[in-house]
Amino acid sequence: MMSLIKYDIKIDESFYKVEEIRQLTGETFSLILPKARFAFKAGQHISLGIYGDYQSREYSIYSGINDDHLEVLVKEVNNGYFTPKLRKLKVGDLVEIHGPFGNFGIDAKVAETGKFVFIASGTGIAPFRSLARTYPEIDYTLIHGVRYTTEAYDRNEYPGDRYILCSSRDTKGTYHGRLTGYLKNCTFAAETQFYLCGNSDMIFDALEILKEMGFERDQIHCEVYF
Amino acid sequence: MGNPNINEQLTLPPSCGGVGGGRRVAFKTLGCRLNQYETDALVTDFDKAGYQLVNFDESPDVVVVNTCTVTNQSDQKSRTVISQAARKNKDAVVVVTGCMANNFKEKLESQDNITFVVENNRKSSVLSLVEAHFSGEILHPEQLPQDVFRYEPVQKSLHTRSAVKIQDGCDNFCTFCIIPMVRGRAVSRPVADVLESVRKTIENGFKEIVITGVNIGRYEDGETRFEDLLAKILDVPGDFRVRISSLEPDGFGDRFVELFQHPKLMPHLHLCLQSGSEKTLLRMRRMYDVGQFRKTINQFRLVDPDFNFTTDIIVGFPGETEEEFQQTIEAVKEFNFSHVHTFKYSVRKGTRAERLENHVPEKIKTARSLQIRELSEENKNLYYRSLIGKTQQVLVEKVSKNKATGYGDLYVPVEFQAKDIQKNTVHTVKLTGLSGEGERLVLVGELVEICV
Repeated sequence: MMSLIKYDIKIDESFYKVEEIRQLTGETFSLILPKARFAFKAGQHISLGIYGDYQSREYSIYSGINDDHLEVLVKEVNNGYFTPKLRKLKVGDLVEIHGPFGNFGIDAKVAETGKFVFIASGTGIAPFRSLARTYPEIDYTLIHGVRYTTEAYDRNEYPGDRYILCSSRDTKGTYHGRLTGYLKNCTFAAETQFYLCGNSDMIFDALEILKEMGFERDQIHCEVYF
Repeated sequence: MGNPNINEQLTLPPSCGGVGGGRRVAFKTLGCRLNQYETDALVTDFDKAGYQLVNFDESPDVVVVNTCTVTNQSDQKSRTVISQAARKNKDAVVVVTGCMANNFKEKLESQDNITFVVENNRKSSVLSLVEAHFSGEILHPEQLPQDVFRYEPVQKSLHTRSAVKIQDGCDNFCTFCIIPMVRGRAVSRPVADVLESVRKTIENGFKEIVITGVNIGRYEDGETRFEDLLAKILDVPGDFRVRISSLEPDGFGDRFVELFQHPKLMPHLHLCLQSGSEKTLLRMRRMYDVGQFRKTINQFRLVDPDFNFTTDIIVGFPGETEEEFQQTIEAVKEFNFSHVHTFKYSVRKGTRAERLENHVPEKIKTARSLQIRELSEENKNLYYRSLIGKTQQVLVEKVSKNKATGYGDLYVPVEFQAKDIQKNTVHTVKLTGLSGEGERLVLVGELVEICV
């Protein structure tokens, strides 16, 4: 008589199939994955691994919490280990996602009434796109520092009066120069909450400027990328 | 994680040795207080099962090495201990666990001198694995249950203070740190379990409890945050005092400071500064800046000017300039840490700092480390000296020839002359002077009265 063996089949929910790759510039692209199988807050990050590879990297979530897909923004690093491998991924390939992690983000209740300034360098714009898509009614200004205006990823998604593009190597942005140069000449309401994301040098300089303007460190939230 | 240099063998008095089929077990622990706690809990398991606890050189049947991988030096020490343990005890079952078992699992599994490699999340079941082995059952470590909180409350006879684990793992992803990879994501032990563990630990006779975990400030069980849990622990009835092991200097507010007015909560914190340079802190991806750290320190010292702060500092982090290092020197002076645990930065594979530019030459790291160590000793001397004339409640850890030694409320070592003093009792001691130097510097005092 054939014996029936009951197997407990456990599906590993951390693997996602790449559904689409959106090329944004020559070196920057976004990976579009199925809808997140976990609840996350806009601004949080995940760890991303490639199936069969032992390394992983952290990426801020680029999509909003209600979007149909989970999306991450990737810039290929020349001679890097990981991003060239991400670049070679094809639709249908598997990636491993763990998370979400982090406390970078805004309280849903505060989102309705607060004033926010988002300051990003390069792909540091990722958590702010997630925030803007999650809370479309939010009162924010996004200051984005890039080298060339072609790096203004998905700029059409942001209302024109909310998106300030600072380009240091061409003159097609709102401001020609580093974003810190723009920041120095700004005035902000005293109750503004600042969110900074990008490389540590930009964050250090922006912090100094904001503190000099009289803002408390507790009003300034940082997410350091590299 | 603080105090990562504990490296001790545990010895139970002979009366604790049981039957255990006549089997003997030896433990060696490297690394942090959390690791030490987990070893203590394993010792309790083996003791209850009737094993006799012995040293490495006393022919154990089982050797358990609880490793650390936080720095290169920790890896080297762990490797040395493993090979010594295996060489001295060729017929013993050698179990390697701890963070190195996670970080170098495959490599360790390929070593013939190791019987079992057990990852952190299965460490609490080491006894089951060993028992299965001796009963001829083929059990692979991966078949053990995964539970980072499944540890028994520690028994009375091991130390005078016992840790209680409330949390494991970390989601901060500081760029230098391997811990999120080897301890996993942040998880908090349910409140009821923590309180039960506290109660049992007190029942076991401990007078001092150390709240421990990887990133305990981020404790979160439903609506209960770290401060809420701490308040509940302090409300547990009984004659005991509470210490907090190392803490990240972010994420707590005024309520935490107020809790230190509770007589059970001891006025010492190991707050991990890591660097006094804002730029370096950002590159490390720390969640605070020097100004916020200063604000925290001042809040505590406003309430208690003698409040004791110790810290961890990493020197030679990638890109650390001489100017940035000097900012750390200034911070160590300003904050008067009575002890600085100094680490020379070492690359941990897979961390973001590995990929940072401008790694600092070893020679410079060594010189900077020496400077901080010297400053730490000066600070300690000044701080201990400032306490002369004051009193401390000293929990006696050791008594030898009418000389009792232990730690005061401020977590300062105190020795005093006294007759008929018992270990694990608390006494009021007036501090009268200093003895020894460097790491062996202690406060000397006179017994005022017996409290307990």
